[in-house]
Amino acid sequence: MRYGLLVQGAPYSSQASHSALRFARALIARGHRLESVFFYHDGVYNAARLAAPPQDEPHLIDAWNGLNAEHGTQLQVCIAAALRRGLLDELESARHGKRGHAVESPFELTGLGQLIDLGHEVDRLVTFAP
Amino acid sequence: MILHILNRSPGTSLVYRDTLSAMGPEDRLLLTEDGVLGALTSQVRHFQAVQGRLFALREDLVARGLIGRCDETVQVVDVDGFVTLTEEADKTVSWF
Repeated sequence: MRYGLLVQGAPYSSQASHSALRFARALIARGHRLESVFFYHDGVYNAARLAAPPQDEPHLIDAWNGLNAEHGTQLQVCIAAALRRGLLDELESARHGKRGHAVESPFELTGLGQLIDLGHEVDRLVTFAP
Repeated sequence: MILHILNRSPGTSLVYRDTLSAMGPEDRLLLTEDGVLGALTSQVRHFQAVQGRLFALREDLVARGLIGRCDETVQVVDVDGFVTLTEEADKTVSWF
């Protein structure tokens, strides 16, 4: 089956990101395909490229990157939720006259329309909220 | 059949009432995160209406030291069982 996940909780604030990651690994291990993880609301902080948690704690951002590298899972970030929280990629940073950027590939800033498409495209869409 | 997923304890949130009133006669309810507190013998009466269709996530019970306190009417599943529940359901609805 094809799955999509919607993550609405910030990393290290609520259990949502950890629950989503655990579910993601389990569904892949059972032979399903995880098409995309869509980050919305405070969940967009999962895309912060400079996140540097203590070494003895799970590194959520690296873990999402690993899903993309190993399984081709898309990592989509709601652009409206991200921009107002200071999570800009290089293009948006330049467009807004800022220095530096907080989001990089494979995370991609995208619109809510992509979430609607994902909901139509996959067999199961599971939400993990704070 | 819809799988409802609830991550709030009945002791701290009343969203479980909305969950129960939205559930159809065949729907199932999975308690996750702090929601597993609802699986305790002292709390499970809140979910009497869905007895036999009530599940709790093992990993979240274990993380809270509650695995031995889960009521016997609740079906405990691990994360693989969680995936199976989503396979068997037509869709899922998360309550929070």
